[in-house]
Amino acid sequence: MAAQAGVEEPGELSQFSAEYTSAARRSRSIGLGKGVAAYAALTIFALIAVVPFLYLLSPSFRQSYELFSYPPKWIPHSLYLGNFRTILHETSYLRWALNTVVFATSVTAITLVIDTLAGYAFARLRFPGRGALFALVLATLMIPTAVLIAPLYIMISRLPGWTHSGINTFPGMIVPMVCSPLGVFMMRQFISTLPEALVEAARLDGASEWQIFRKIVLPLMKPAIVVLGIFTFMAQWVNFLWPLVITTTNDMKTLTVGVASLQGQFVTNWGVISAAAVMTMGPVIVIFLIFQRWFVQASMAGALKQ
Amino acid sequence: MTSTVSPEGAWDELTLSEAEYRRAGARYRHRRSARAYLFLLPYVIPFLAFLVVPAFWSIWLSFNQGGILDSAKYVGLANWRSIASDTELTGAIKNTGIYAIEAIALVFTLALVLAMLLNRYRKGSNVFKLALYVPLLAPAVLVGLIWQFLTNFDFGFINLILNALGFSRLNILGSGTLALLTIVLAEVWRGLGFWTLYFLASLQNVPEELLDAARVDGARGLQRFRRVTIPLLRPMLLFAVVIAIIANFQVFDTVYVLTQGGPYESTSTIVWFIWKRLFQFQETGQGYAAAVVLLAIILVLTAISFWILGARRRRRV
Repeated sequence: MAAQAGVEEPGELSQFSAEYTSAARRSRSIGLGKGVAAYAALTIFALIAVVPFLYLLSPSFRQSYELFSYPPKWIPHSLYLGNFRTILHETSYLRWALNTVVFATSVTAITLVIDTLAGYAFARLRFPGRGALFALVLATLMIPTAVLIAPLYIMISRLPGWTHSGINTFPGMIVPMVCSPLGVFMMRQFISTLPEALVEAARLDGASEWQIFRKIVLPLMKPAIVVLGIFTFMAQWVNFLWPLVITTTNDMKTLTVGVASLQGQFVTNWGVISAAAVMTMGPVIVIFLIFQRWFVQASMAGALKQ
Repeated sequence: MTSTVSPEGAWDELTLSEAEYRRAGARYRHRRSARAYLFLLPYVIPFLAFLVVPAFWSIWLSFNQGGILDSAKYVGLANWRSIASDTELTGAIKNTGIYAIEAIALVFTLALVLAMLLNRYRKGSNVFKLALYVPLLAPAVLVGLIWQFLTNFDFGFINLILNALGFSRLNILGSGTLALLTIVLAEVWRGLGFWTLYFLASLQNVPEELLDAARVDGARGLQRFRRVTIPLLRPMLLFAVVIAIIANFQVFDTVYVLTQGGPYESTSTIVWFIWKRLFQFQETGQGYAAAVVLLAIILVLTAISFWILGARRRRRV
């Protein structure tokens, strides 16, 4: 049909346009059907992602024994706050939260500083062994944390020259976590996309490398720094194995380790356990919604530029 | 150097001799390198101290016992012989392998599909992206708690649905295969947001013009996907697979909270085995050796991934 374009008679043209219209109409309804199916699928998965959290809201406001009633009543007639009170008074939840904030923030701050410096060196400064060193940094990406926990534990518990053990201390917890190779990789990739001309011009003008770094490169790196900051913070917020190993006293545990220990303390007290989950996720979700653009960027940044 | 007035003399004074030139160049290069090292030092020192040295140390430790509560004792190959006959470790390796295959396959398929949908239907996609992202914010511990809730025999969501549909309730965490499947689903549920966004960003890197050109040439949807999208995505796919393998072989948090390796070690994973041996049972020797085994497995798998996903380029001309 389409091959008969270039036809002269009006009769043939109107027949062609009629068939074209019905074909277009058919493809539009197929398109509509596909669209509906697509949005339905997306909605289903979005619900699957979010509903389990909502599922926790109800038990947290009720007493545990009520959960076992069948059929289960979803809407509690009165909001029972006892679970939250139990957590605040009978566990070290607040202390855990503080520990986690200190831990995650410190690791993030230190990581940002040293990673930007090192990233600039790898991207724009020339020195012997640059390629080899960077390759070494990348290679360590393959080293699982589980391999490191034993040596690190031994190292920290018996610091050379110190009488006290570094276990259950903040520096002991924080410092080994600042050398993730991913941050250096990201910073280097980002800095190498910055125009060389700027740096060259500054060099010609006689600026020292430090000045170049501080006044020219750093301001340009703000988006990358935010992304790496969020990335690192979330990674340490969620960190479980390392805090589990390096803290043994209740006072020094992070939220992840502490909440996990609640399972032993409140074995089937689902009210308390779900209240703990709500308390932990609540602020995070709020922060996430406020800064959502940066979070989404942080994830997608991993895909850009290999 | 004495100053002269004539132009020739001035020229001599301003230019360097051959030797002076070479020395100045070397001095400059040394100063330049020194500056670079200053920038690097704050990172490289912790890097060496807390990454490189422990990595090699752990290999040395695998030939020792003790060290955590007391000082380490060299025992030669004793640890290696002990884990070679340990069925729990081989079970853990098998479980981890099964888990990783299932989890990666499932999450990549779902994430690719969702990413393609989000790429094509952009209106309102932000809401979906945010919703998918939320599980990522939860520590694996919370994910474990949530899924313990969901799979609870009495009031878990899954059993409630089964009951409503007329089936009998399942003791999900009490059955070996179902428990492992729960861990898979929990981790897939958690990671789906990240991988969807990752593939979405990758897909957006595929230039529209190429796909349009293919469409004009008559290529249908699936063909366009196979011949245009996938080849262009291959470096990102390789990166994704490597990262996914490295991450999934270290699954631990969910196991700790959901199943504690049970029932009867059917959900015991490699890292779980290592942690239990090192810090619970104080059988440090086995723990050290198992850690090195884990390291070796990951290195091998990474190498294989690079080989498989890199070799095609050579075959295809």
